[in-house]
Amino acid sequence: MHKSVPPKEVATPDPSALEIMSNAFRSVADETFVALMKSAYSTNIKERRDHSTAIMDARGRLIVQADASLPIHLASMGGLMTALLEKFSGDIHEGDIFVANDPHVAGGTHLPDINMAMPVFRDGELLAFMCNIAHHADVGGAVPGSMAGGMTEIYQEGLRIPVVRLFREGNIQPDLFDLILLNVRLPNERRGDYFAQIASCKLGASRLTDTIAHYGPDTVLAGFDEIITRTTRRMRNAVTGLPDGVYRFEDVMDDDGLGETDIPIKLTVTVKGAEIHFDFTGTARQVEGNINVTRNATQASVCYALKALLDPDVPNNQGMLDLPLITVERGTLLDAVFPAPVAARANTCQRIIDVIIGALSEATPEAAVAAANGANTTAVFSGIDPRTGGGYVYLETLGGGFGGRAARDGKDGVQVHITNTSNLPVEAIELEYPLRVKSYSFVENSGGSGRFRGGLGLERVVEPVAHDCTFNGAGERFTHSPWGLFGGGDGGPGAFFHVDGAGVGKRLPNKPIGLKIRASEAVVIRSPGAGGYGNPSERLEEALRDDEQSGKFDAETLRSHYGKRP
Amino acid sequence: MSWLVGVDVGGTFTDFFAAHSDNRSVRYFKRPSTPHNPGEAIVMGLREMCAELDIASETIHRLCHGTTVATNALIQRRGGKIAMITTEGFRDLLEIGRQTRPHMYSLQIDQPPPLIPRQHRFEVVERIDSEGNAIVELSEESVSEALKAIEQTDVQGCAVCFLFSFMNGSHERRVGERLAAQFPRLQISLSSRVRPEFREYERFSTTVLNAYLQPVIADYLTYLEKELRDFVPGTPMGIYQSSGGLMSIGTAKEFPIRTAMSGPAAGAVGAVHTARAVTRPNVVTLDMGGTSADVALIRNYDAGVSFDREVSGFPVRLPMVDIHSVGAGGGSIAWFDRDGLLKVGPDSAGADPGPACYRLGGSRPTVTDANLVLGRLSKGGLIGGRMELDVDASRAAIKPIADRLRFTIEKTAQGMLGIVVANMVRAVRTISVERGHDPRDYALMPFGGAGPLHGAEVARVLGMSEIIVPIAPGILCAQGLIVSDLKEDFVRSGRFAIDAESETRLTKILDSLARDAHAWFEIEGIAASDQRLTVTLDARYIGQNFELSVEFMGTQPGVVPVPANAADIIDRFNAVHEQFYGYSNAEEAVEIVNVRLTAIGKLVAGDAREMRKNNDRAPEPRETRLVWYDADDPVSTPVYNRNAFASGMSLTGPAIIEQLDSTTVVFPGDRLETDNSMNLIIQADISTGASHA
Repeated sequence: MHKSVPPKEVATPDPSALEIMSNAFRSVADETFVALMKSAYSTNIKERRDHSTAIMDARGRLIVQADASLPIHLASMGGLMTALLEKFSGDIHEGDIFVANDPHVAGGTHLPDINMAMPVFRDGELLAFMCNIAHHADVGGAVPGSMAGGMTEIYQEGLRIPVVRLFREGNIQPDLFDLILLNVRLPNERRGDYFAQIASCKLGASRLTDTIAHYGPDTVLAGFDEIITRTTRRMRNAVTGLPDGVYRFEDVMDDDGLGETDIPIKLTVTVKGAEIHFDFTGTARQVEGNINVTRNATQASVCYALKALLDPDVPNNQGMLDLPLITVERGTLLDAVFPAPVAARANTCQRIIDVIIGALSEATPEAAVAAANGANTTAVFSGIDPRTGGGYVYLETLGGGFGGRAARDGKDGVQVHITNTSNLPVEAIELEYPLRVKSYSFVENSGGSGRFRGGLGLERVVEPVAHDCTFNGAGERFTHSPWGLFGGGDGGPGAFFHVDGAGVGKRLPNKPIGLKIRASEAVVIRSPGAGGYGNPSERLEEALRDDEQSGKFDAETLRSHYGKRP
Repeated sequence: MSWLVGVDVGGTFTDFFAAHSDNRSVRYFKRPSTPHNPGEAIVMGLREMCAELDIASETIHRLCHGTTVATNALIQRRGGKIAMITTEGFRDLLEIGRQTRPHMYSLQIDQPPPLIPRQHRFEVVERIDSEGNAIVELSEESVSEALKAIEQTDVQGCAVCFLFSFMNGSHERRVGERLAAQFPRLQISLSSRVRPEFREYERFSTTVLNAYLQPVIADYLTYLEKELRDFVPGTPMGIYQSSGGLMSIGTAKEFPIRTAMSGPAAGAVGAVHTARAVTRPNVVTLDMGGTSADVALIRNYDAGVSFDREVSGFPVRLPMVDIHSVGAGGGSIAWFDRDGLLKVGPDSAGADPGPACYRLGGSRPTVTDANLVLGRLSKGGLIGGRMELDVDASRAAIKPIADRLRFTIEKTAQGMLGIVVANMVRAVRTISVERGHDPRDYALMPFGGAGPLHGAEVARVLGMSEIIVPIAPGILCAQGLIVSDLKEDFVRSGRFAIDAESETRLTKILDSLARDAHAWFEIEGIAASDQRLTVTLDARYIGQNFELSVEFMGTQPGVVPVPANAADIIDRFNAVHEQFYGYSNAEEAVEIVNVRLTAIGKLVAGDAREMRKNNDRAPEPRETRLVWYDADDPVSTPVYNRNAFASGMSLTGPAIIEQLDSTTVVFPGDRLETDNSMNLIIQADISTGASHA
């Protein structure tokens, strides 16, 4: 079907030709993203879009990522490539598909993120990989959902998959696949998700093969280099725009869920010309609980923050990933080593970003924002559906307040920074699971004061219907509130509550594990608000009026935040 | 002896397309729009058209109107002041939406604020569960309190949005009754009426947009009704809906959100009509104007409908012709991004200040400037146009870009067009390859003012070998209006597995939908022989969470095409799944989520065809000029006036074909023919591959 095109002379593509070629690459990445989303089985991928797709080159460099990809997945794909090339270099064949998830040996960031990579060849030469990553709702381990706190070793968090060949030259390895599926809950749903990832790889490989045939392999490879080079230059220019200097900030994590509290993250940023250096020396050692972060995830967090502050539209590729110099000591919270558990790493990534923004707020006050809800408030309900007798796992992460900004209030109830997954519709939850959502609302008064106030947190109240279920959760900024910036006040912290049959609520630990919830009871999931920006006395009357009329703040809170006004 | 008149209101011009029902002749008329009240241009234009074209007003038997009033009201946030009543515990749901940011890395960009402020969103005590049971009865007392609160506001309308109302709408209906009783002038939108479908945020959002538009559209349509009653008393007027059919004024007033994509949908339906005239069942449309390009996929003479899209930043869950827009138009501006890559659009110079060559104050290089510099557009502007285009101004605007690239002006212009083409190609890929269709199996139909300028290049990049340019590419939307049918969609949500036992359940649902459809046929006065019914099942594998549509087309007038049996449905579903995703799982169980019945009332549409006698020679060109295609050197190219073309003639490119509303570029080596309906059919010479962008 495809008409071959005579090869063209190879030179560095000019700025218009390169734009057209990268358009073709972006099309491939986007198409595979949509294909994965639509053919997946689990709500986590289809509705919440907790997945990403990308094209990597033969050296494992990121070339292009689908538009809707998640920042946290960025580094994980690179990590997989490093591990893959180390192990299989010279033994990679057409039709192979590699799979991996392990944070300690395969470049992952936590076990539920299943990574896949499929090589793309032209005339026997390896040119690129089509990669994707999807968060599976369960990957085995001690607790349904594979995200719960309380674990002290990675083994408890689920099945560890090093880089292995799931397809060998076009043929699935059934023994391996059986082994994987036997070790996860709801194997039918998981199988569907694996097949969606496989289909996405194959589709992308076929499209990329066409694109390579169209432009000629040499032009494509020259294009890969040029895309990266230009992004590097663009980011270096942006860094040059920051005032040279040494910027410091520190913050603490609430706890690791196993008794260790106030865990510090320390940062010194040095800007000198086009160089930027992030030094996390002084950060706590890795902890027993599951909030540890592998180096890849730290890198993803740094890149996210840098891009958000300096140039939100810069393309995601290796040129961006390689720009910041990062110093982080092995064995610390931000470069955890085996056997550290890491399931709830996103909470820590959010804190890394807060710390970076805090440090650079002085260098770039217009772009900086006050601390957002700083969490990836996670709730997992599981049990046996009394209607069918089958097991279920419902996982959700809640957004919260977004920090006050230089020219506007922080948004209420939204996913922030490292994650941007959708909520699950209430009607979808109740149709799929034996659960009832009693309410879904903003947490009034939870936005920090300021010239521009912080956003409000979210609250969901969920109860099991006609059965007892199990609840696991992970919260952060439940103890230490999100801070305000430039005089702005702190936002309200989050909390979990267990409401008994009589309607009496009891505060739960920040990272509750395996809690039994009876049919007549409920769980309240309350995410943090966010800090405000600028001196509260400068808040406009009109804004204060709206705070009160909307009912987002009561009169008493407004009085305590803003003095006598309004 | 009677006329069917289509009126399409655009930002600059209001187009009229009149078709005679007996001798099939068609007439065009165009006048400046009146943006302060778009209805004025319609009323005045009709009078002017009748006078100028010698049409007696009493011979107009139907008016068809495509409106952008709703679209503009949304863009400019000029809708009504409204309140919302919702289930206790959920008044913030509308504002939370899907809790996502529109831009992953921007710390500054938010989703748009909700159209109803929090203080106007009221909760009442009630709850329906996922089976449709009222587990908490509607508390009349809490309704009274909400009504009391509404009384304190100055709202013009109210949206009523309860959880699971798509399963059981009784609570919404009751609140609607109480609102109507207490506030007779308040306009009310119930989510179970607007769109009784699963997923509360999307349903609520659609309902709120509807309520927001009601006051604006009601004023507008009431004005039109009144003015037209004097001029064409008794002539029915159909309002164009986004799903690609007409509805009555009464329906449009109740469901104004259905007009949100009215204009582009009419273009797609006009394209279907042209596709039929040239007997090309599979067509990709490319409607390129001043600021954006709309692309749609027509398969088997059917412009597909999608049920899920955003309008002005808000999700709308309604059937709409599946159109994908991209910021690529004649006014799109070329610029360098921070990494030095050349970009074109989405910023546009629009009509004001316009491209540099208009000399209306625009100085930035646009796509139109590039076309002018390359000789593809004439310095004299469009035929019949009064505006001269200034090629020196275009060159001056492009020069800074050329200097930075160290290219000639012409090579730079070629680069700009290559990028705008790449942007459109990406849009075409989104609606074709991302949905499992190979564009090489389709003909490309460029229209709109700028489409036929770029069709040849878009087709080449996508490997499409045939290009169809309709007779009047600039006013295909107005033409689409008069070849449309009346259309209404009925839907029931409810999940059930497809098996032998569920066959009766499906039959029952279809019976009930058929009753609704026949009641509608009755109201609209559709004769039995003109009634068509199509069944669409939204189905999925059990455990999946995205549905695919399986369609059953009716063949006999007024008869519901009931699927033969469960196996038939499952087979068809597997085939659709295979097409979309490249695989299907024959052993998996399939469930139905929504059952839709589309009722169509066939209208006697004038066949918009202008017959001419055959003549196989190309006419004399108006002039010959140098035109740059994809090579470095220009090619001496004849320039034709399309009005001088006869049907059945042919020529070989290069050629430039100019007409009142558009310019067509025929690349060297491409073969052009005119058909009986005076459409241009171009066979692109894609074998060379020379033009691959």
